[in-house]
Order: sequence, then structure tokens, then C-alpha cells
Amino acid sequence: MTATRAPARPVPATRRPGLAPARLLGLELRHNAMLWMMPVAAALFWFTAGRKTLASPPLWNLRVAVMQPNAVLAFASPVAGAAAWMGSRESRRRTTDLVNITARPRPARLLITWAATTCWALVAYLACVAVVYGVTARQATWGAPLWWPAVVAAASLAALAALGFAAGTLVPSRFTAPLAAIVAFFALGLSTQLINGSQSYWLISPVVAGPWDLGPNPEVGTFYAYLPDLPMAQVIFLAGLTAAVLGALALPTGSGIRTLRRSAAAVTTAGLLVAGTAVVLAGTGRLDAHGMIAIPALHDAASDRPLRYTPVCGHTAIPICLNPAYASYLPATEAALAPVLGQVAGLPGAPARISQAAATYQQGPGNSVGIGMAGSPIGGTHPVFHFLLPVQLAGPVLTTSEMASQLRSATGPGILASVTGDGPGASKAQHAVTTALLMAAGVVPPGAPTAGNNVPPPAAGAGGERYAAPAPGSPAYAAAQRFAALPAAVRRGWLTQHLGALRAGRIGLRQLP
Amino acid sequence: MNVEITGLTRRFGRTTAVAGVDLCAGPGVFGLLGPNGAGKTSLLRMMATAIPPTSGRLRLLGRDPLSYAPRREVRRRLGYLPQNLGYYRGFTVAQFVEYFALLKEMPAGRIPLAVAAAVDRVGLCDRSGARLRTLSGGMLRRVGIAQAIVNEPELLLLDEPTAGLDPEQRVAFRALLRDLGQNATIVVSTHLVEDVGAACAQVALMDRGKIVFHGTPDELTARGAEHGTGDAPLERGYSAVLAAARP
Repeated sequence: MTATRAPARPVPATRRPGLAPARLLGLELRHNAMLWMMPVAAALFWFTAGRKTLASPPLWNLRVAVMQPNAVLAFASPVAGAAAWMGSRESRRRTTDLVNITARPRPARLLITWAATTCWALVAYLACVAVVYGVTARQATWGAPLWWPAVVAAASLAALAALGFAAGTLVPSRFTAPLAAIVAFFALGLSTQLINGSQSYWLISPVVAGPWDLGPNPEVGTFYAYLPDLPMAQVIFLAGLTAAVLGALALPTGSGIRTLRRSAAAVTTAGLLVAGTAVVLAGTGRLDAHGMIAIPALHDAASDRPLRYTPVCGHTAIPICLNPAYASYLPATEAALAPVLGQVAGLPGAPARISQAAATYQQGPGNSVGIGMAGSPIGGTHPVFHFLLPVQLAGPVLTTSEMASQLRSATGPGILASVTGDGPGASKAQHAVTTALLMAAGVVPPGAPTAGNNVPPPAAGAGGERYAAPAPGSPAYAAAQRFAALPAAVRRGWLTQHLGALRAGRIGLRQLP
Repeated sequence: MNVEITGLTRRFGRTTAVAGVDLCAGPGVFGLLGPNGAGKTSLLRMMATAIPPTSGRLRLLGRDPLSYAPRREVRRRLGYLPQNLGYYRGFTVAQFVEYFALLKEMPAGRIPLAVAAAVDRVGLCDRSGARLRTLSGGMLRRVGIAQAIVNEPELLLLDEPTAGLDPEQRVAFRALLRDLGQNATIVVSTHLVEDVGAACAQVALMDRGKIVFHGTPDELTARGAEHGTGDAPLERGYSAVLAAARP
């Protein structure tokens, strides 16, 4: 120790003077627990969110919907735990007296520590998001990145950091951090258990990426614009919650001048009001016809217009056209439907095109949702047959072969029935011809009691109703077998000649060759 | 006077730690002596604005620290070394001192040189890049002193500053105290009377929350001339005053 003031050389760590808060933030960034938790958070993200997200079909809407809740859950524990650890630092390290007697107000000091924690959490999160978005950008055939779900997850991290930090500050114990990590994970995970239908306040939970009963839905944002109503409400809620929690940190006596505490109280109150308003808004949400949550107060009617797109079409006997977002499914769709289309291509009344349609959604009781297709499957002067891909329907993610199988057994009969006029009220001959064509196309193996029994049951929906072949041994079944056994040219010739009469119901079973 | 204390009392529940203390101190080194539990640390914490007094009047650097704006002004001009120094294990010496310079709202442009000077004055220049977790207890004490003096405080409060320092460092520290005391008011709380004798111009002796002696080290020494017990003259004065103060 020297009594004289010898000219001192600046030490390396302090050579660059800057704004004091920025320097403080720099120091906090260098010594933040979240820095050490970043690899943990990234690993959790990869194992719980990344792999699952990238394993789903390369559709922007589907991937971000998978990513949002899983990313929030993956980051919840590391972020809340690290923030709680930083919040309890002064007490744990017994520096409370030392820092409290400095001129910088306590709330400013705490805010900087929280900001450093949040910064690292966001850096880790954004790096993970960049990987998912980068890979999806290379794989997706159509559409643009959806940013709202990513913003919701980012806002969740700020809120989780604020909550964890507040817990650490208020209950400064070494057990607070692990406890905060556990509570954050379970609170988020369990928050979805109380959702009941589309009009639920619990939709505000950041682990909800859309109608909870539907789950990740590839349909969202493909035929109609993505509705940011629910993410907006979630971001408003999370921003309000963050402000309220951070404001509450400045409330205790000793945090500063009365004016500062009053301002903090105002921020806390405003934050709570904003968060409460967002919860109420989420409660007014309803499942719209396009499978998204519409919140009237936040809804932009312009979003209800269908998106314009140029369909991608194949080269089957009757061209199959899909929404470009589903372009990757076209080869499988063609392979599944080509045998069926070959049976009716060129016949009078046969569809000129097979076109993918948008699904429509209707909220049922509880968490049930009805999914179907609006209007008639076939229509127009040059008839177009509309159908839904099985992947558009709610349910587990399908492999390509599963999807093709469902498509063949669900949509194939619909296409043929639209040509033969089969359906409710149709004659037995019409039913027999439809069955015969399915047998010829290999969809219904001859001798099978009902169509499609050797394939997974098709999902419900337009073009997806389960087709019931005539009972084996019945006259209709025998006629179908007989008709299917004819050479293709003979069958086609007969149909060309008699299809009009068959559709009009003027042909009986005995008149079938 | 940089420190003006009148009837200052601090209670913790039923315990009265400081009981109506009157004290004035101007520039120079002021020693606060007393046995364990005498109330020295509580008095110092009140002077450091860490805790408010239960009653009494306290003026620091001509300001009332009970009001927010004056308290903030006082804190900008204050240096404090607590008895038990808490520290962040991952910080380097320079970062720790810089951290407190920033918290004390020093002008950002002055901080690099001020940090370097403070680290240099406590003899840790060659360890400025060392992490605090790697330092010995004595070195940590010096880091604590560095953070206390980084803002060139007008009022420096040191609670047991020489605890853990080796004799050589203790001698150097006393010289540093004398140097700092030329412009600032330094209150040193200690139970090591030789520190007081070597560095302090004024000394107060506390016992059971009260000041039982206030004068120069020579006056304290004189009190022990006939009745005190101890090896050194100042120790004899110390024990004589305490013996006289106790029933």
C-alpha cells in the first residue's frame, strides 16, 4: 500500500471508458450465471424442441407452432434458475451493505443485473431459433417465416427472467434458484391443463401456440393469413407481467426516493392492468373457420381473406394440384391417387382437376373440434374435385406412406363416387360400379369385406369419409367383382356409353356386364 | 465538521446497540475503539447510511442523510469497508473496484485511472487481473479498501480495516490512512489500539453503545498511567477508561 499518489497505469479491464450503465451491463454480462446456463439451455432446446421441430414436415406454420411451446419449456428452468441465482447474489455473497450504500439507486442496479441475464437468455434462444429457421428456410417450399411465435417465446424468457430474479431478490437463499427452475417448468407445463375450448383465459400461456385442441396445425397460414391475435395477446400479457414484476422490485423501502417508489408502483399497477387485459382478451378468443384463434379486439379483418398462391400441379391422368406449402407431398399424393384417377380419366363428368382445398374448423363441446371442408367436393363447368390431405386434419404427424395410404382409402372412393354419382340415395348399381373401380385400382382388394380394411382408417372430413363397400355375398358385391374382372378397355367402353344412365339411376345391377 | 452526531440511538428489537451517541469529526483520522459488542459497527453502519438511526440527529458532509437527495450526495462522497467484506468470486480485482466506482456514480471518464490508482495504493497492481476467489484473506481486505477509496471519498468509514493484514501491510496501511486523512475524514473502527496510536489524531472509545472517552491518543494513554492493565501505554489507557466506565 502506498501513501503517495504515484502515477498509476490503467489496468487492462478498464481502458475503455463508456457510459456507466453500459459499463455496468458489460461487467454483469461477463459475470452472469446465465452465461454458464446457455449450453444447458441450448442442449435442452435441441433435445426437446429442436429435434421435434425439425422432424416435422417443412412447413413454416407447423414448425414454429411446434417450436414455440417446446422452446419456452426448454428455456424455462435454466432462465428462471439463473435469474433467481443472480437475484439472490447480493445476499448470498453478503454484499448487500456494500452495494446499498452506493449512490446508484437499487432498482437501477437490479435492473441492469436482470437485463444481463435476459440478454444471455435471448442470445441463446435466438441462436437456437436461427438454426430452426435457417434449416426450415432451406426445406420449406413456400411461405415466409412466421415471427410472432418466436416473439412470444422471446417475451416469455424476459418474463421468466423477471420472475426468477424477483424470487431470488425477495427470498435470497441458495435453494431459491433450483426451486424457481422447478416451479417455472411445472407452472408452464400445467398451465395448459385448464384450457377448455377456444374461449379460455389459459390460452394466454406462452406454451400455447394456437387452438390447444388442435395442436400444431399445418393448415394455419397456408390458405388464409396467419392470425397474430393470440400471440399479440400473449406478448402484451408477458410485457405487462415483466413490467409489473420489475416495478415491484423497486417498491420496498430503501429502494430510493418516494417519487421513484411511486413511479415503481405506477409501473407495477400498469403492468398488472396490461397483463390482466391481455388475459381477458385471450378469454374472448374463438376458433375461427381457418383453425386459428381470432380475438375480436385485436383482429384485423383483412387477415380473413384467402391467400393468393399458384398451386403446384402434377402430371397424372387428371392433374392433382396442391397448395405450394404442401408441394413436398405431391409425389406421394400422385402415387396414391394415380390408379384411381386412371379409372375415370376422360370419362364424361370426370373431374378436370383434383385440387387441394382449405379445411374448415368448428369448435365442438369441450376441447373437441370438427374439421371438414366447406361446400361440395366437386363443382364447376370444368369440374374440379376438392379434397383435403390427411395431414391437414388434426392428429399425429403422419409419415409419407401413412398419408398416402389414408389418401388412397379416403379420397379415392370420393373421386370415383363423384363420377358414378354414388352417395346417399344412389342405386345399388352405382355403388357396385364404384366398388368395382376401387377394386380395379387396387384400393379395395377383391374379396375384402369392406374397403380399406387393410389400411389405417381414414380420417374424417370431406373426401375422407370411410367408404363402405357392399357386403360380400350380396348381389351388389358379386356385380362389383364381375365388373372389376372385365378388361380395362371393356370397362371403360361400357362406362363411356352408359355413365349418363348409371348416374341417372336408370341402370340396375343385372344390366351391369 | 464532516461528521456531526447528536443523541444518535439505534435499537434492534429490544437490544440498544447505540445509545445516544454525540460525536463530531473533521478532516483527519478518527479512531473508534471499543470491545466486541460495544456498538462500533452499528454506529459505522449508520454513518455509512446502511441503516437509519432509531432516533437522534446525524449530519454527514454537511447534509442530512435521512433525505434522499442529500443521502445520494453523501453516498457519492463516501467510502465504506464493512467488517465482513462480501465479494463476487468471479470478478477480478480491477473489475470489482470498477464495479463500485460505477455504483458510486463516478464520472465514467475518470473511472479507469481511479481504479488503477486505488488498486495501486493498496499494493495490488500486479494482481489487478486476478480473480477474487484466488486471493488470500489479507489481499481481499486490501481489495475492500481499494473499493472504498476508489472515489477519493470525503468521508471514509473503515470497520476493522487491518484485520488479516500482515505487519508490513499494516504499517503501509497506516501510512495510507495518514495520507488520505489530510483531506478527508476517516473513521476507523478497530480493537487494535496500536493502529489508533499510529494513525489517529482523535479517538473515541465506545462501550455498551455509549462513548465513554473522546480525545487524543495521548490523552487516552494518560488515563492509563496509574491504573490501566496492558502491555502498551495506549492499551493501559484503554483498559483504564473501560474499567472506569463500568460499574
